[in-house]
Amino acid sequence: MSFSTFTTPTGFLLPSVHSAPPFFTQQPYPGTNATVTEQWITLILAYARHRKLFVLRVEDAEITDNDWQEVVRNERINRKLLPSYLSSIIATMVSKNLATYDPPGQTRSALLYWRLPEEWAEVLHGWAISTGQLNTILTFYEIADPPIPSPLSNIPINLLRKAIAVLAKTGRSQLIAVADGEGVRLFQGK
Amino acid sequence: MGANQSIPKITPQDRAILDLKLQRDKLKQYQKKIQVVLEREQAIAKAHLATGQKDRAVIALRRRKYQQSLLLKTDGQLETLEELVSTIEFSLVEVSVLHGLKQGNEVLKEIHKEMNIESVEKLMDETQEAREYQREIGELLANNLTADEEDAVQDELMQLQAEVLREESADGVELPSVPTHEPIAVENTPAVPAREETRERVALAA
Repeated sequence: MSFSTFTTPTGFLLPSVHSAPPFFTQQPYPGTNATVTEQWITLILAYARHRKLFVLRVEDAEITDNDWQEVVRNERINRKLLPSYLSSIIATMVSKNLATYDPPGQTRSALLYWRLPEEWAEVLHGWAISTGQLNTILTFYEIADPPIPSPLSNIPINLLRKAIAVLAKTGRSQLIAVADGEGVRLFQGK
Repeated sequence: MGANQSIPKITPQDRAILDLKLQRDKLKQYQKKIQVVLEREQAIAKAHLATGQKDRAVIALRRRKYQQSLLLKTDGQLETLEELVSTIEFSLVEVSVLHGLKQGNEVLKEIHKEMNIESVEKLMDETQEAREYQREIGELLANNLTADEEDAVQDELMQLQAEVLREESADGVELPSVPTHEPIAVENTPAVPAREETRERVALAA
């Protein structure tokens, strides 16, 4: 058998392991399972980074025609990831701090950390500096949906909140709350 | 803790700005919603037209028109809001510029207080005096050689001169005098040294 890489219509290069049928099945032996799950996690994070996807749901393995279909199924070998296996992959990711259940208290939907909140914090700070928005009051909406696309476009508010909390620890951000909602002010820091 | 000290207090102005910006965001979101509705109404109109229900299509289009007018109105409001936000932010910048100017002015005043004309004149006089003093000391130090030392220096100089003279007379090499007539080229002679050279080279090689 020979497996080859495959470039998806969105320009993502799938690794050769993605065309191996056993890859899509949960392995019964814990050792093998750990290795395969590890590969899945790498693949999921790489794809999420490529497409700037922030959320992975167990549901993504159940329905077709979603953002994840290029990864969770392989029509060429007629395989797809079962929801139960995807659920266990997500659980592993959460335990490794590569994702977090969002909203918390359920296990069907997770926020992916292809950048950790600490890294997002630096991205946010760098963006504020490069666009001259230090010391200005910004709304979350303004950051997540800026008129000019930025690395932070479409960032989930929860993730943004975490990044802001990281910056607050070093005195580089300040949350401002009013009755109508919240905003943040970023500082140069030391 | 320490980090918090550099963070300014949240002023009512900040809250007002945030409030305005949140309103602006809401308007933007509202516009997005209307945009979606507009597209949907058009799709509905198209669907009705396809099934031959012309009056239904007209109603959908009418609704669409109304939403469009709403969109235009919100555009105007958005403009006003953004203008207000910009004005406030610009005024804040102006305030900080004014503050900076004030501080700069005060610093300048402080500095000027320290250097009024009289003190500068006095300082310059003092400097002049100090320089005079320095010059005197320099002169004193320069003329500090005693007569004995001066004699010793002169002696040393004489000695050196004598030595130079002696050296010149000792190695009096006789140099050839300058030729008086032009050299005559001899044609055969160059061949002989050339052969000698080759012979030498052979001997060296062996």
